[in-house]
Amino acid sequence: MKTMDRILRSIKNIPAFPATAQKVAAVMGNPDYSITHVVNIIKFDASITANILRIANSAYFGVRRISSLHDAVVFLGQENIVRAIQVSGISKYFKKASGYGLNGPELWRHSVGVALMTQIISRKISGREDTKLFTAGLLHDIGKVILGEFVDDSIRRINGLVNDHGYSFIRAEEEVLGMNHAEVGGKMAQQWNFPQDIRDSITYHHRPDLMEKGENLFCWIIYLADQVCLMAGVGGGADGLAYWGLKDVIEILKIRQKDVEMGIIELLKDLESAKELIEII
Amino acid sequence: MAELVVGVADLKVSDNPHDILVTYALGSCIGVAVFDPVSKVGGLIHFMLPDSTLDPEKAREKPAMFADTGIPMLFKSCYELGAEKKRILVKVAGGASILEDSNYFRIGQKNIMALRKIFWKNNVLIAAENTGKNCNRTVRLHVGTGEVCVRIPGEEMIKL
Repeated sequence: MKTMDRILRSIKNIPAFPATAQKVAAVMGNPDYSITHVVNIIKFDASITANILRIANSAYFGVRRISSLHDAVVFLGQENIVRAIQVSGISKYFKKASGYGLNGPELWRHSVGVALMTQIISRKISGREDTKLFTAGLLHDIGKVILGEFVDDSIRRINGLVNDHGYSFIRAEEEVLGMNHAEVGGKMAQQWNFPQDIRDSITYHHRPDLMEKGENLFCWIIYLADQVCLMAGVGGGADGLAYWGLKDVIEILKIRQKDVEMGIIELLKDLESAKELIEII
Repeated sequence: MAELVVGVADLKVSDNPHDILVTYALGSCIGVAVFDPVSKVGGLIHFMLPDSTLDPEKAREKPAMFADTGIPMLFKSCYELGAEKKRILVKVAGGASILEDSNYFRIGQKNIMALRKIFWKNNVLIAAENTGKNCNRTVRLHVGTGEVCVRIPGEEMIKL
């Protein structure tokens, strides 16, 4: 079987996204939702409940000593509960993953780093946080969960194209495997019924300049957050920093060198306060 | 053998010949390994950014975050264990960049430039280095021998 067919088959076989996470997001979309209703959906899912209690006590969310699911939903508030549930749901796929010279927890740490960095950028450019961006950050490299083993099997050929022929890592992936990890991730998010803007930001997270339509500001933020994490070495793997720098990002996000350097300092602090999110797997 | 992990924006020194100092995934950050072969004192820093004027308060709290506050502290910490400046060997790794990173966000290049300036001003020579390009590096310093190894994922181990 051709490599690309094997990759497509792996995508098809990926377990469904946890239904609890989808249900809670739907209920909370209604402004009249009741806490009891949310608790009732979550409480039947033992693993999500346990994870939410761990995540809820993270210094990153600013509340401490939460011991019941009800308290978690009350004190965390809608946005943070959705984040906690996404962390719980998405982290599962990283648990057994490996690839790019990294193990699952290291790949996951990079995903959390990017999610945290999207919030730092969002606060900087719009003065507020954005839960959808946070989710997209957690998911941006989900394709690596599937592509990892294929990349590791062909790492010498891929590295050869990058080191000797000036390829970016995703172009080398395409050449050797037929698909790149961003594309694979976009297909996985489609299979899980994530909204279009999240899917696009995964598919184009290394090349937001190639996106033709839709909300591409969203995608540029994911792109920059990823680049900053790669520079800061947050979960950096065999792909290293071998991705194109797109200087349009300065104009589009109105961000300066100094903002990026300050962002790195802030990221280091957030990574410490969010260690429960990283250690969930 | 104990591996002591040097985190991001951190430094460690040791005179225990059984210790290995290690720092992971440097990206654009830089790892500087120093070793005095006579006193057998070794040290390793993992700094992130070139210049502490960006955030002086942070620099006081975590001097190892910046080249200009961290490198002097690395040397001083080694002196306290008996190392002498004239004997210290310096090896450097990291400072990678994204592709075509010539016009913006040049954290890797800026880190390398800041480091060279500091060493040049202080008459310190760099004995060996593996810097630039676009790969991640892990650095290990064996305190017993002063051997410095750089690991790039998917490639053979490099002895500096």
